[in-house]
Amino acid sequence: MSSRPAPQPRGVFATTLATLLSHYHRHPGQLAMLLLGLWVASALWSGVQAINASARDSYARAEALFESQLDRIERRDGQALTLDDYLALRRAGAPVSPLIEGELRLTGVSDGTTATVALLGIDPLTLPGDSGLARRESSATALRDWLLPPHRLRAAPDVADAARADPRLPPVENDPSLPPATLVSDIGVAQALLELDRQLTRLVAAPSARFALPERLVRIPARQLASPGQLADSFHLNLTAMGLLALVVGLFIVHAALGLALEQRLGLMRTLRALGVPARTLVGALIVELLAIGLTGALAGILSGVALARWLLPDVAASLDALYDSRVSSQLALPWYYWLGGLAITLGGLATAGSGVLWRVARLEVLALGQAQAWRARLARQWRRQALAGSVLLIVALGLGAWLTAAGGATLGQGGRATLVAGFLMVTAALLGVALWLPALLAMALQLASRALRRRPLWQWAVADLQLQLPRLQLAMMALLLALAANLGVNSMVGGFRLTFLDWLDQRLLADIYAHPEAGDYARLHDWLAAQPEVATLLPARHAQATLLLDADTDSASRAVPVALFGIQPAPVLTRQWPLQSSVAGRETAWRALRDGAVFINEQLARRRGLQAGGTLTLRGPDRRERRLAIAAVYPDYGNPHGEIVMPTARLAREFAAPPGSLGVVLAEGSASGTAREAALARLREGVAEALAIPGETLTDQRRLKATSKEVFERTFAITRALNALTLGVAALALLTTLLAQAGARRAQLAPLWALGVSRAQLVAVQLGQLVGAALATALVALPLGIALAWALVAVINVAAFGWRLPLYVFPGELAITLALAVLVAAGAALLPARRLWHSPPRQLLEEFAAT
Amino acid sequence: MLQLIDVTKSYPTPQGPLFVLDGVDLSLARGESLALMGESGSGKSTLLHLAAGLDVPDRGEIHLADARLSDLDEAQRSALRRQRLGLVFQQFHLVPSLSVADNLTLQARLARREDPDWTRHLLTRLGLGGFEGRYPEQLSGGQQQRLAIGRALAARPDLLLADEPTGNLDEAAADDVLALLQTLIDESGCALLMVTHSARVAAPLDRCVHLQRGRLAGDEA
Repeated sequence: MSSRPAPQPRGVFATTLATLLSHYHRHPGQLAMLLLGLWVASALWSGVQAINASARDSYARAEALFESQLDRIERRDGQALTLDDYLALRRAGAPVSPLIEGELRLTGVSDGTTATVALLGIDPLTLPGDSGLARRESSATALRDWLLPPHRLRAAPDVADAARADPRLPPVENDPSLPPATLVSDIGVAQALLELDRQLTRLVAAPSARFALPERLVRIPARQLASPGQLADSFHLNLTAMGLLALVVGLFIVHAALGLALEQRLGLMRTLRALGVPARTLVGALIVELLAIGLTGALAGILSGVALARWLLPDVAASLDALYDSRVSSQLALPWYYWLGGLAITLGGLATAGSGVLWRVARLEVLALGQAQAWRARLARQWRRQALAGSVLLIVALGLGAWLTAAGGATLGQGGRATLVAGFLMVTAALLGVALWLPALLAMALQLASRALRRRPLWQWAVADLQLQLPRLQLAMMALLLALAANLGVNSMVGGFRLTFLDWLDQRLLADIYAHPEAGDYARLHDWLAAQPEVATLLPARHAQATLLLDADTDSASRAVPVALFGIQPAPVLTRQWPLQSSVAGRETAWRALRDGAVFINEQLARRRGLQAGGTLTLRGPDRRERRLAIAAVYPDYGNPHGEIVMPTARLAREFAAPPGSLGVVLAEGSASGTAREAALARLREGVAEALAIPGETLTDQRRLKATSKEVFERTFAITRALNALTLGVAALALLTTLLAQAGARRAQLAPLWALGVSRAQLVAVQLGQLVGAALATALVALPLGIALAWALVAVINVAAFGWRLPLYVFPGELAITLALAVLVAAGAALLPARRLWHSPPRQLLEEFAAT
Repeated sequence: MLQLIDVTKSYPTPQGPLFVLDGVDLSLARGESLALMGESGSGKSTLLHLAAGLDVPDRGEIHLADARLSDLDEAQRSALRRQRLGLVFQQFHLVPSLSVADNLTLQARLARREDPDWTRHLLTRLGLGGFEGRYPEQLSGGQQQRLAIGRALAARPDLLLADEPTGNLDEAAADDVLALLQTLIDESGCALLMVTHSARVAAPLDRCVHLQRGRLAGDEA
């Protein structure tokens, strides 16, 4: 001490802050837990938001290009447009512009890999002036470079280097406004690169342009082309909801850790106040402490969130591509507001969690007179208030549930966004409502247990002691409840979806082999396959477009909407298994009606347009004739975002000019399984190659299609599962934080028991039993809550987001896993404090006994 | 130094207000030491808390170091406590997360009156030399109380308020602490108001007053 120089006076604020922070110096674990809670909460939230921000950036670039700004002109039969179609329209005075689009495999990439990009060919001279593309080439120099050799090509930043390395391409300019993996060139350059001689993908026109179209062409207005952002909106909303859940659970840790840090420093704060530190200074120092911890946790969380997003983004991009045909860059693009937003939401969450602490400190009585006596009454009041708030939230959830059930079929584009938001609000209200009720429910259960255990004094003590611990444990238990319920709900939904989806795949992919021949090869292939002994039945399918005419009272805003038509062969092998959701008079009658001129519609169309089996709809085909058709049945159509109408293939070809599509090949009985199947597929592939000069790969094994579909399915829910598991981990951390923080005080309470002759082994067992019991009781509350959540997901949120409803499955295995998880989390969290107690030397227990 | 005039303090109870102090008049001169005696519940600690500005009376006036406490707001009362008073509690109320050295200088640092020579002197007199880096729970009860006294005196207060400073100690440790307290008070020249229920503890002080049911019963020199 003598060698210490005279320190500079630090003042009241600095000394107070240093004294407050010294608590963490002695309890670094508590600070670590506080930072961990903030870090985890912020990381999960930021990760999800980084994914959403990057995807939105990709959508914005796609929309800025032209997709949502220009009308499209396509052929009714789905075939490619030709240069002649374009020239005929121009001669007739129609202000249309040609566009070609195709996939180009880049070669010459330095690392030896190849990259596939979308290549767009445009004609800047005719492209309507309002589109983003047209604006770019408006200057004379740019136009000359664009049109004349060696031409110019614009590339999205993620593929610009790869494009430069490809010797076939003209000089490349970087264009950050392009969607990911996209190149744009003059139409002539693109035609040469894509080898599309005289073929066009489509024609585009300004929405305001007025001109007539010949019979074989159809104009699709820009307003009816759903933008990628709209389609994937629900996907991102789902992600946001999961991120929010993780944030809330993480903030429970923060709240618990802050509460405990306050509890343990109450004496210190009273001392400081008695030594002359004003209340304002104390609150100010605490705010600075919170800010420092908050900023550290938030920054670490945001950086980790970005890393998490970078890791998850390729899977998300693949899912969005498979689900919505949306190209999302697998590289993160984060706007400035992302960083500020992440910081704001974490600090906001911290402020919410910390406001209670600050309020208590501001009102801190220096003299803690009569507080111990008032504790029990105050706690009972607090739980009553919590239960009341919980009841209000549950009533709100029930009200929203009733409204949503009544609203039924409203989906995206028809107030579906409001339905979706209401659905999430309902889920949030229900989760929080039950969470607020939990402490009161646990207290009641403990009271009952206390009565039942009168003859077992040690366990009666354990129950009484747990009642005392409950105020400190309640937040961690609430976090555990939310995580368990979310885990059960989401897993039930995903499990149910998987069962339904796989079942549906089996029913829909009936043929053993599928062929997708070129239009010119279709008839030859059909006849050749029909003549093969291995082939039992052929199931030809076709696709076409028509216009659905709506009754004025159904949707007055858009009386005529384009709709997809799907042609199937109603052969017995198909009609036996094809899934139907509802029909007027049974399956047999429905199929008979289909053969006799009726149609089936998918669930999406039924919900969106308020149609049902037994009703009728009006279709206008390419011949401009209006047909009123009976709806014989509604069928489930998972994975399809659009409405669809089914009719026999022959009728579709005859009345709606549907071009040849795919061919399903059902193998004969002797060739349908095992090695015979492999051999049959190989023989057919060789046969088409030799006899028809059609590549054998035109025939695709159905099992490969199924495997691809399953892979897409699993990828789609990979992130949901990852976030779910992390949320559960966060809840376990919340519990561990709470237990560790009060471990010292707990030992002081256990020491008298030890002094009374209860062995350390018994004390450890009591500790574990207390927590596992509380966690099991929490899990029992989580079971009905999780099932309710699963119902909300399949019956409300899924319908609003995707347009179809899934059956609700409750898996006993999932219920058992939920209970087991609760035990695991509680035992895992209790293990460390229990181990410490086990290793406490008798001397230490003796000291703690003396101190009590 | 300290003057209480007709001080009354009551607490609400379901049966009506409970008068803990009822019209108490008391004064303490600079450098003087006074023992405030009385049985449990007689109002001793309440009087001490009022004198320290930790609580406010229902009626009456308290003058402390030329200031009338009722004229001061919360921040000013805190400043007065920080600069002019030293407090010693029966439960020590040391900061468990601060070392012995930091606990000792805590109030001096808050008052911006840290004096290394005086701190070194205190540390030696308190018998805590060599313990600077330890934490309170690593000290015995007597050492903790001596540290608490040191903390109260480190800022050289004008008045030391001590609430049963030996209540938690055995007889030998109590004697040791009292002797030290007396010496340090003499050395620093501050006044002392000590609450105790022990005549033996009160004996060495200049004066002794008795509180009975909220009223002063007598004043002995």
